[in-house]
Amino acid sequence: MSFTAEHVSYAYRRRRAAPIQALDDVNISIPTGSFTGLIGPNGCGKSTLLRLLAGIDRPAGGHVRLDGRDVASYTRREYARRVAVVPQETHPAFDYSVMDMVLMGRHPHLGPFQLEGPADHVEAARALDATHVGHLADRAFTALSGGEKQRVVIASALAQAGEVLLLDEPTASLDLGSQLDVTALLGRLHRERGATMVMATHDLNLAASLCDTLILLRAGRVLGHGPTPDVLTSSSVSALYGVEADVRMHEHAGHLTVVPLRRTPAERHPE
Amino acid sequence: MKGLQAQCLTGSVLRTLAVVALVIGALCSGVKTQSPAPAPRAATRIVSLVPSVTEMLFAIGAGSRVIAVSSFDHFPAEVETLPRVGALLDPDTERILSLKPDLVVTYGSQTELDVALHRAGIRTYSYRHGGVDGTLKTMRELGPLTGSEAGANAAAATVQARLDAVRRRVAGRDRPRTLLVFGREHGTLRSIYVAGGVGFMHDLLTIAGATNVFADFKRESAQPSKELLLVRKPDVVLEVQGTQATADASDAIKSWAALGSVPAVRNRRVQAIAGAFLVVPGPRLGEAAETIARAIHPDAF
Amino acid sequence: MTAHAAPSAAPASVRLETYRPVRTRLVWSTVGFGLFAVLVCALAPLVGTTHIDLARALDRSIPFADNADAQILLVARLPRVLAGALVGAALAAAGVVFQALLRNPLATPFTLGVSAGASLGAMVVIIFGGAVSVGILSPVPLASLAGAFAASAVVYLLATSPGRAISTTVLLLAGVTLNAFISALILFVQYLADFADVYRAARWLMGDLDVGGFDPIVAALPLLVAAAVGMVFLPSSLNLLSISADTASARGVDVARVQRGAFITGSLATSAAVAVGGPIGFIGIIVPHLVRLMVGSDHRVLLPASALFGAAFLVGCDLLARTVIAPVEIPVGVVTALLGGPFFLWLLVRKS
Repeated sequence: MSFTAEHVSYAYRRRRAAPIQALDDVNISIPTGSFTGLIGPNGCGKSTLLRLLAGIDRPAGGHVRLDGRDVASYTRREYARRVAVVPQETHPAFDYSVMDMVLMGRHPHLGPFQLEGPADHVEAARALDATHVGHLADRAFTALSGGEKQRVVIASALAQAGEVLLLDEPTASLDLGSQLDVTALLGRLHRERGATMVMATHDLNLAASLCDTLILLRAGRVLGHGPTPDVLTSSSVSALYGVEADVRMHEHAGHLTVVPLRRTPAERHPE
Repeated sequence: MKGLQAQCLTGSVLRTLAVVALVIGALCSGVKTQSPAPAPRAATRIVSLVPSVTEMLFAIGAGSRVIAVSSFDHFPAEVETLPRVGALLDPDTERILSLKPDLVVTYGSQTELDVALHRAGIRTYSYRHGGVDGTLKTMRELGPLTGSEAGANAAAATVQARLDAVRRRVAGRDRPRTLLVFGREHGTLRSIYVAGGVGFMHDLLTIAGATNVFADFKRESAQPSKELLLVRKPDVVLEVQGTQATADASDAIKSWAALGSVPAVRNRRVQAIAGAFLVVPGPRLGEAAETIARAIHPDAF
Repeated sequence: MTAHAAPSAAPASVRLETYRPVRTRLVWSTVGFGLFAVLVCALAPLVGTTHIDLARALDRSIPFADNADAQILLVARLPRVLAGALVGAALAAAGVVFQALLRNPLATPFTLGVSAGASLGAMVVIIFGGAVSVGILSPVPLASLAGAFAASAVVYLLATSPGRAISTTVLLLAGVTLNAFISALILFVQYLADFADVYRAARWLMGDLDVGGFDPIVAALPLLVAAAVGMVFLPSSLNLLSISADTASARGVDVARVQRGAFITGSLATSAAVAVGGPIGFIGIIVPHLVRLMVGSDHRVLLPASALFGAAFLVGCDLLARTVIAPVEIPVGVVTALLGGPFFLWLLVRKS
């Protein structure tokens, strides 16, 4: 399986103002089975890139390709069976049970008037087990804690597609404990299932703990990419954020950690 | 000595209180919204917001003294050249005041307008719909107010005579159960508005020798359902087309055909009469009664 | 890629046993609500302020034109019940659809201005006259439809750009603004009117199901059928759409098309309903909420159940309206409002 973005650009149109160039000639390749992090400061285009990878938006220029085929050539349902998205927050307008939410992940596997069958229920149950929220199946989704909600959403994504999982700031809204839980879950899922995972995040420590590959984005352009130990250095952090940081392996955590120290004196933030 | 002083004190206190009470009483009565004390002279500059009263004013001979009318006045022809000052919902107080009237005819519910006019020292005549008797009474009341007492009494007497003539014509005949319809959605049987057991329409029906099918509804109008109409079974359905000059019963006949079990439909007594005089209770009541009677008892004419 | 460490089967099957699959729920709810609706609609024509002799009413030997009982049953009551059922079903279904489209449980079929447009059209004809009929469509329903279509078109054009998903915020703003503007126009038109016309116009706004014949129903039927057919394709997409547009898109839903479909079918159903019975409020919001309490929020079950329950509910309200203080009839919109207000309060109290 190959998952690439080639010469991708995207701009947000505005009324009576110049469009904002969110992505400019981005070329990336997501290694199969990797846990790739998209990192960069706010507005760098990581969320936009993730939306293009998910097929929610179409690039203005260039192509996103899955297995060599342009995303646009897949039907929506076909693509959704292979690529699933976990957003930062999920706020349904109505009360759905946890089981309802997870079963909704089966939508791309069903025909237009088809209802879920036993096979779908089995998949949903498996996903609930994998994320350790099976005991919450009958509960109302809106009554759960933030961490539990995210785990249910991850389960829903697992029920939907097993190949590629795209995550947009999955722990940003969670408290410390829940962050640990979800982080551990994602790590375990990656190890056990071998799915390709792409995560956009501004949390460098999260990226360092989970991702084996990193793509650095700034102002819509790729600043660097490669294996995490090679790419996550104090100089790259300084280039990305204009911040002097101490980047070192944490003996207890088992992964690189980034501790920001001060703003780089010579750098004036462009914006 | 002390007792006398006390008595004097009490007396003066009482006197003061009495004076205060009188002053307060006078002030209070001034605040009430009643017309200033009757002017000794008859009104010479009259503004009328009520079309039926406008008609009456012209009928009693005070027409030359009418200087402005409402937006909905159309009769008699002379009013078309007069300035308009609004109507029930939107009376133009400024315009009325600028015309310097000495009598303004208002609707009974226009209390704020009355207060404003009284403050400016202008008399008002507050009109309320009544039945036929109420209309005749109003016509007579307008006489002294406008200096046309003789004209007023004569006009009222003329109307009364005409009404009595109609009564005599239809006396002794069977009184068909009649439905007097003054509103219906064109082409359908929806939003049917009929005359209730109160008001001038009901009175006219009675004078014209019919029985109002909804005489038991103690309101001026009713909006019966189809079911109720089928139950009440009127012998005659009379549609009053107040906004048209000539009567056209074709839509009525077509629409009412759906209620085939109603005697009026079976016996082809779905009829229409037209004319604004049918819906404006004024000096043309006699003509209205006659028109209705002709429709109900054609053989009596 | 399949999952490696398969979870233990036993706990999964235990959980599955307690979960009622949507197919079961759909069948039970449709049959249950369907029977209820049929029962109400079958009994309602037999109930009323006048006692009908059913045997005489159905006696074919008596000529129809002479048979008062038959006429009451078939001209006065039956069309009224049928109109109530169709209008109730249409408004309830439209309520479900709009609530999902706008992702807001407080949305009603009237939120986006369709009913205001219909009311303005009807007002203009009631007050200024106009005897234009098209076939069996008499002037007031015709004008009401025209107004409804015009208002929907304006909102649609304001809120959509070709091929792109509709922003619910923009849609809501466009609808609410148009609603306010048209309501002001309605007030203005009433102000210009004669006293009697104002009363007639105000009365129309309170709703009236006494159609007195099948013509208005037949005229509205094509629109209602078109709306129903369109709505059949929506429910599973509405589930996803009610979570978020992005989630729906990422799960394979053509968001732009579903949104347009929801808007058009909801507006068609509302337009037809208002043309038949006037703007009867609260059905479009009470019924979806009540039914959600009974069957849950899955739109595949909720939509048909709401339509069926809405039919029964409005027929019931109309029954109350025409019998409670007979022979005076309470306008049906007043009955639904009297029921709706306390219901809302209860909803709020329950939520907090």
